[in-house]
Amino acid sequence: MEQNNMGQKSAALKIKVENLDLYYGDFQALKAVDMDIEENKVTALIGPSGCGKSTFIRTLNRMNDLIDGVKISGNITYDGTDIYGGYDVIELRKKIGMVFQKPNPFPMSVYDNVAYGPKTHGIKSKARLDEIVEESLRGAALWDEIKDRLHKPALGISGGQQQRLCIARVLAVEPDVVLMDEPTSALDPISTSRIEDLIDELKKDYTIVIVTHNMQQAGRISDSTSFFFEGAVIETGSTEDIFFNPKNKQTEDYISGRFG
Amino acid sequence: MIISAHTKKTKRQEKIAKGFILAFVILTIVILAWIVIYVLFRGFYYHNEVNYDVSNIKEQRIVLNKALDPVIFIVHPKVRLDDLTMQDLRTIYTKQRKENWGHYTRQDLKVETFALDEGNVFTDTVIDFIQGPDEAINKFTTYVADPESMIEMVASTRGSIGFVPASASDKLGKRVRTVSLRRISAVVHPSVKAIVQNVQMQEITPDELKAIFKGEIRNWRQIGGIDLPIKPILPPDHSPYSVINELFLPEEAPGDAVQRTETIEDFFEIMKNSPGAIGICFYNDAAEEGEGLLIEDIRRIESGMNLTIHFLIEAPARSGAWGGISTIIINTFFLILFTLVFSTPIGVLGAIYLVEYAKQGMMVNILRLGSETLAGIPSIVFGLFGSIFFVNILGLGIGFISATLTVTMMVLPTIIRTTEEALKSVPVSLREGSLALGATRLQTIARVVIPAASPGILTGVILAVGRTVGETAVLIYTLGSNYELVRGPSSSARVLSLHLYNMFAEAISFDRTFATGAVLIFIVLLVNYSTTKMIGKMNRMAGK
Repeated sequence: MEQNNMGQKSAALKIKVENLDLYYGDFQALKAVDMDIEENKVTALIGPSGCGKSTFIRTLNRMNDLIDGVKISGNITYDGTDIYGGYDVIELRKKIGMVFQKPNPFPMSVYDNVAYGPKTHGIKSKARLDEIVEESLRGAALWDEIKDRLHKPALGISGGQQQRLCIARVLAVEPDVVLMDEPTSALDPISTSRIEDLIDELKKDYTIVIVTHNMQQAGRISDSTSFFFEGAVIETGSTEDIFFNPKNKQTEDYISGRFG
Repeated sequence: MIISAHTKKTKRQEKIAKGFILAFVILTIVILAWIVIYVLFRGFYYHNEVNYDVSNIKEQRIVLNKALDPVIFIVHPKVRLDDLTMQDLRTIYTKQRKENWGHYTRQDLKVETFALDEGNVFTDTVIDFIQGPDEAINKFTTYVADPESMIEMVASTRGSIGFVPASASDKLGKRVRTVSLRRISAVVHPSVKAIVQNVQMQEITPDELKAIFKGEIRNWRQIGGIDLPIKPILPPDHSPYSVINELFLPEEAPGDAVQRTETIEDFFEIMKNSPGAIGICFYNDAAEEGEGLLIEDIRRIESGMNLTIHFLIEAPARSGAWGGISTIIINTFFLILFTLVFSTPIGVLGAIYLVEYAKQGMMVNILRLGSETLAGIPSIVFGLFGSIFFVNILGLGIGFISATLTVTMMVLPTIIRTTEEALKSVPVSLREGSLALGATRLQTIARVVIPAASPGILTGVILAVGRTVGETAVLIYTLGSNYELVRGPSSSARVLSLHLYNMFAEAISFDRTFATGAVLIFIVLLVNYSTTKMIGKMNRMAGK
């Protein structure tokens, strides 16, 4: 019944981007980007360096607000509400979490890292926090490895574990969408495959947008793929189509490794 | 092996450069170590040459008369006195106001004199011995009936001194401290001290004195005097002079070198008529009967521990010449504490504003330039500012509050600069990580940025502590020089650096100046050590 329900929902639109332009001062970083991000799907953003895919993903939870001189026009709706007009930025970031390129655990214990978000949002009960920490670490497939070291410094665990800890930290806030900006680019192959497996697990409950440089990775984990080039979306479609049947010449060149 | 000429040359240059660098490094280390070790050594250990007109021969049981029991002088156990000169004993008992032990033991303690009731031969003799022909025992002296009650009184009165016959010595126990007397002087014929061709006999050392009576030194020229044969003379070999003969009469062949006498009158008579003569007698005899003779200065080397526990726990007196530095240490810690209470929040919050909130532009650059300039201004200028602004214009007066505020002004730039650097060094990714979890800017700063920057912030605070501990120029104008414990915001006070400055400037005591310097070095070492430990612990907790 639940499975059925989810299957039904999976076609639903989570985030809709229309005609998005973004300027850093005079430089136009995104040009008329349109994109539909579907619920409980993994959407991969690929493209050469400097093509605007990181900039784009950061507009989805308004991380670009932090940078001086950014101008944005166009429309981004999340569940039908405009994220720039209708949402408080704090609420938005609770709903749309983000995992960064380099693991960035806070210089505190593993437990405190995971509990940071819930604590920040006013959860004080120790029992409830314990519960959230365990759930989130289980969700990030880290619990079994780390349960004996919960109160050890987070900077002391391995890079791959740190990145999964960062994912657990995002899950602890109970988001709806998880944005991942090249989450495996700083990791070794074994840690990378763990994270990829994890992403596959996570898409049952979350909508995932992932930026990746690694074409194979995009092919392995994503349901739909968008190809960015010079700030514009050149082609978007199901991963299968993009990889095996690209309509655009540039997409084909990039996929087949002729540039980028 | 193939080595080109060029490679050889480069290698040689490298060696020479390395040698130079090494030489300078060693020089620097030697200089630094020398300074610290010198100050610490002088701070811990004093070694002074002092001239007395009695020798350093100590007598515990003092024989005054062959018919009588010897006398023993006793003090309260808290009086840190080991031996006393004859003159000091006389001063203590005859001065027309209460003497202070500070003159003799550096402890700020009034002397309470005790004597046995007069009326028997023993007591009368001792009192005559103490007061001499021209003085009288002062009116502060308490008279007690018998040796037992004397011991009781001395043991129970702070700063007491008294005397008992040697027959009561088995009753002394540990309740009182026995004090030795130094009363043996060297008298010389005036011819010895004559100036001939710019040469004059100066003080003599105990070893030289011994050598003269052994016949090893036979001319004053040998010990820095004029060319005159030495004529050593000893008093008669019977009580009370037998102690002198025991010490100075050579065991072998005394005949030719040392002249011995039959009576004490004889001794002084011969002394007066023998150019180049030197004789050994008691100070009181010399003072009373040795008219026309000169008492020779005897050099004594006084050495011992300077930085004792007493120095640390006693309150200072007489501008720091007596007592210790306890109140000054406490004042120093108060100044540090209150300076930190004022400067840390202002400095840290200011730096947070500059780094996290302020729009980077003109205003921030001016603020930054200002704090950089202030950090480099000589502290005496801050002292001038403090003394005009806080002391006069605000009317706070010279005292603790003015000093604290001025030092706060002085250390603020340091704290702001180091905190700024610490905050800037927190990676952007941490801030983004926190913000992306839906934390507000303030939450991010308070819970992620400041904890991550805390080792750096702590470094700034410690630099501030270091400047506060070492600061003198600012405090001369704003803190005054009262060496008592600080009583309130407007109370004038003295901290270690100021105490050191004042004691040196007023030539109170070099030993105590160095001891204070050593304590300062220790406080700085302690602060640095504990900070290193603390930063290490913080980093370990963060997993670095």
